[in-house]
Amino acid sequence: MASTDVDRPEEEETATDTAAGDEEDTGAHVAPIVRLEEVAVTTGEEDEDVLIDFKAKLYRFDKEGNQWKERGSGNVKLLKHKETGKIRLVMRQAKTLKICANHLVLASTKLQEHAGSDKSCVWHAMDYSDGELKEEMFAIRFGSVKNCKLFKETVEEIAESLGEIEETEDQDASSAAGLLEKLSVTESTTEESNATEAAAVEDENKEKGHQEKQVEAEESSSTS
Amino acid sequence: MALPNQQTVDYPSFKLVLVGDGGTGKTTFVKRHLTGEFEKKYEPTIGVEVHPLDFFTNCGKIRFYCWDTAGQEKFGGLRDGYYIHGQCAIIMFDVTARLTYKNVPTWHRDLCRVCENIPIVLCGNKVDVKNRQVKAKQVTFHRKKNLQYYEISAKSNYNFEKPFLYLARKLAGDPNLHFVESPALAPPEVQIDLLAQQQHEAELAAAAAQPLPDDDDDVFD
Repeated sequence: MASTDVDRPEEEETATDTAAGDEEDTGAHVAPIVRLEEVAVTTGEEDEDVLIDFKAKLYRFDKEGNQWKERGSGNVKLLKHKETGKIRLVMRQAKTLKICANHLVLASTKLQEHAGSDKSCVWHAMDYSDGELKEEMFAIRFGSVKNCKLFKETVEEIAESLGEIEETEDQDASSAAGLLEKLSVTESTTEESNATEAAAVEDENKEKGHQEKQVEAEESSSTS
Repeated sequence: MALPNQQTVDYPSFKLVLVGDGGTGKTTFVKRHLTGEFEKKYEPTIGVEVHPLDFFTNCGKIRFYCWDTAGQEKFGGLRDGYYIHGQCAIIMFDVTARLTYKNVPTWHRDLCRVCENIPIVLCGNKVDVKNRQVKAKQVTFHRKKNLQYYEISAKSNYNFEKPFLYLARKLAGDPNLHFVESPALAPPEVQIDLLAQQQHEAELAAAAAQPLPDDDDDVFD
């Protein structure tokens, strides 16, 4: 390899100094070392309806270091299973599409505000991102106060209605009394709120398209 | 190629050698992919650390064993052993430090002495920084040596997936290979008792008082 240490003429460089230069393939022709066949791709989300789909940045709390650490940035979704009705939160890292959060929304799921930012909130979850249950504290930051509010309200409504179901199933409500104290949402208002959620998701999708364009513009300007 | 004490996997895996001067962001880049975090603190890598990094593609799951090496000579400069059986490589420099680009030919030469004809990506890191010392136009080494070049930022995630995507495409000889959503398995149902829940809430209240990192950043603005 080292024997080809001869500089090529300079003309090559001036001919190709475009802004998009980092997209062209200037690599050598190397022989592939594996042969891979196309496989069927499953997201695992096929049987679920999307309640919320917002762009966000996720953090996890590092107890040892007593600090928040970034976990990923991408889209956070609330997904409702078409048959079981179970609702979960799934978030994937943009570009690599790897999972950075995957957990059920339960009656016990409680969001708290994050001090210092009204675009952020925090919660505790048994996360299943890596295929094993892990206790995590998450914080999430949205692009707008509005999105954060919608996210928070939606999760709270889900948790509340789950709490009601648990209460009717379990008449010995004494242990859960503290949790259920504030519940006043009825079935009919839950339906109403689902309708507003759907409208909100639509709004968000429009907004998202706009945001993505902005991000692209930023990226291209940062490289020039 | 895995280390003897590392588990092997039943899907294609590749040894990736990551080299470049100390402080150019090799470890930060790997950590970013491993956990999502962005580590600001600089702690020089000693010797080598091997991290498995999995990606899901339309051609199935693949793994890169990233050999994150010490960039600083005094922390054990690179022995040939680190390069041996390398199947692909990333050479990193820092666009805010000219010397790190000047040293790229040396890293390339050392690498190619052991690994012939492997796909190599040259990465100019820290392109988010306003005051660059090495402008995109001044980066020409890759053209002479037939490397692929990407400007990246481990801080902003700009192009952060591109080096792996490029290497995967070359290793498989498939220019259409792309990353796909990994299957999000249904999380099992767990019961959380009231006592545990109260403890979680107390912990959470304390955590909520801690600031989030890089609150100043402008991903959404």
